[in-house]
Amino acid sequence: MGMTRGEKWFMSANVLFFIVLMVIMVYPFWYMIMGSLSDSSLTADGGLFLLPAGFSFSAYLAVFQNVSILSGFKVTLITTVAGAFLGTFLSAAMAYALSKKRLRGQGIVLFLVLFTMLFSGGMIPSYLLVKELHMVDSYGALILPGLMSAWNIFVMIGFMRGLPEEVEEAAKIDGANDLGIFFRIVLPLSKPVLSTVGLFIAVGYWNDFFSSVLYATNKDMWQLQMVLKDLISNTSAAISQAGIAISVQQEVNAFTVKMASIIVSSLPILIVYPFLQKHFVKGALIGSVKG
Amino acid sequence: MEQQAELVMTKPTRHSLNRKGTLLKDIVRDKYLYLLLLPGLLLILLFRYGPMYGVVIAFQDYNIYKGIGGSEWVGFDQFQRLFRSPDFTEVLTNTIVISLYKLAASFSLPIILSLLLNELKNVVFKRIAQSIIYLPHFISWVIFSGIIITFLNPVDGMVNVIIRNFGGTPIDFLGDVRYFRSVLVLSDIYKEVGWGTIIYLAAIAGVSADLYEAARIDGANKLKQMWHVTLPAIRPVIIILVILSLANILEAGFQQIFLLYNALVYDVADILDTYVYRVGIQQADYSYATAAGLFKSAVAMILILTVNKIVKATGQDGLW
Repeated sequence: MGMTRGEKWFMSANVLFFIVLMVIMVYPFWYMIMGSLSDSSLTADGGLFLLPAGFSFSAYLAVFQNVSILSGFKVTLITTVAGAFLGTFLSAAMAYALSKKRLRGQGIVLFLVLFTMLFSGGMIPSYLLVKELHMVDSYGALILPGLMSAWNIFVMIGFMRGLPEEVEEAAKIDGANDLGIFFRIVLPLSKPVLSTVGLFIAVGYWNDFFSSVLYATNKDMWQLQMVLKDLISNTSAAISQAGIAISVQQEVNAFTVKMASIIVSSLPILIVYPFLQKHFVKGALIGSVKG
Repeated sequence: MEQQAELVMTKPTRHSLNRKGTLLKDIVRDKYLYLLLLPGLLLILLFRYGPMYGVVIAFQDYNIYKGIGGSEWVGFDQFQRLFRSPDFTEVLTNTIVISLYKLAASFSLPIILSLLLNELKNVVFKRIAQSIIYLPHFISWVIFSGIIITFLNPVDGMVNVIIRNFGGTPIDFLGDVRYFRSVLVLSDIYKEVGWGTIIYLAAIAGVSADLYEAARIDGANKLKQMWHVTLPAIRPVIIILVILSLANILEAGFQQIFLLYNALVYDVADILDTYVYRVGIQQADYSYATAAGLFKSAVAMILILTVNKIVKATGQDGLW
């Protein structure tokens, strides 16, 4: 199967195109890593393109000594872990019950779940509800409102309906009840879908900042992304509004520290990314977990 | 034996609920299933249906101290206020315009990109390329806004450093109504174009190799193969995705805009969601903001129901 000259030309051009595209996609991250490693006194002229200006870890030291970043890390770690485990477990439990066609009221509950995809009360009623429940500034407010998602439940129902019935039947004859079957048979068999949903929920919580905007008045309860948002917008707003109102040294420090905190807070995503890759196609179905 | 009896029993009783006792018996039989169902269902009822009940304040003059029970009912006054407000026209226009720009990009570019990805013959290179172009999807908008703000900074952002080096005057991209929407659309493409290829690639992978071989024998070159074989094969997927994004036309990208916009560009960037946030949360005009939000939710629901009907009418599986 020989290739025509035109085809060969196309192949090479295509490879070249993707190399350029990859460089474009990677460059901002490269730039930020180099920025974060730069000597803060040398970045003022904006002369940073490929390599760090000087070399220093001081920005990372500053990040790990920054009280609000550490606090944000703690809050996000708690919401991410709790959200991923609770969300996956409760969705799986619901999905298992709903995958049984014999269950009375199954149709009504399925409709209730489906309807949440069609209509939502919106931002203000949700905000007022959390306020009324006296949950402002609690972990509950950051975790619970977005915990259950119809997509996750439906993806799991689809998976569980595909599980072989014989195994369950056999366990039933051995005297296991539905609870035992769920924990000892269905959950282990559902590992692929559980890890897909769990990972995507985790990414959603890790990247969430808006729950903090709405539900955290106390800065101690800010998620990491919220702390980051504050850090980023503060300095840039100060620069663009007041021209050069703040001292150059401060601004420069802010730059390297800003870069370092961006790198540090995206690192966990990069670490789980290889695991995420196995689940991409299913994950594309789940879509953005948190609305 | 017992199993069989159950099987025989459940089928007819589904339709004859009047047979006393069987309902209760079924519920007792499935008590553990209900136990598993309950926590998730309660969370959904509280945090999804609670706010749905809460939208009634759109028909009130809600006072936070009096609550829903004690606040005065005003009928459609909030909606009249909303529809008469010049803000509303502007915000609705911005939402739809930004959304359509993004739709045009997210419709065409991922298709082209997935066709090109499909032509990469080196498996390792292809996988690396995919991994890299999918990655931005998982990076938060907070981090992306940080990247954008850094690169576009009018004082020392790299883009403006380059512009200045070429003798131009620096541009405040995020503070200029002429550029802001382009920044929105381009950064959205950058973040999501790779991810957008996944579903197309899955569909392309299902196209039979025989079809390409037949086309080759008929003398079709690469371009013609794409046009006559690949594209028709993935057309159903394209149609569904486009229709779905049309149903989401009032979602113009809240987080992205919320993180990037400022008072200088409200004229071109303020969308329904950001408007609801500012009026509702910052100005505490709860009833009015809820009315604006309800308008959005209601339109979205009508759109998605219509879309589902259309999809089904074309003979494909609907969304449900």
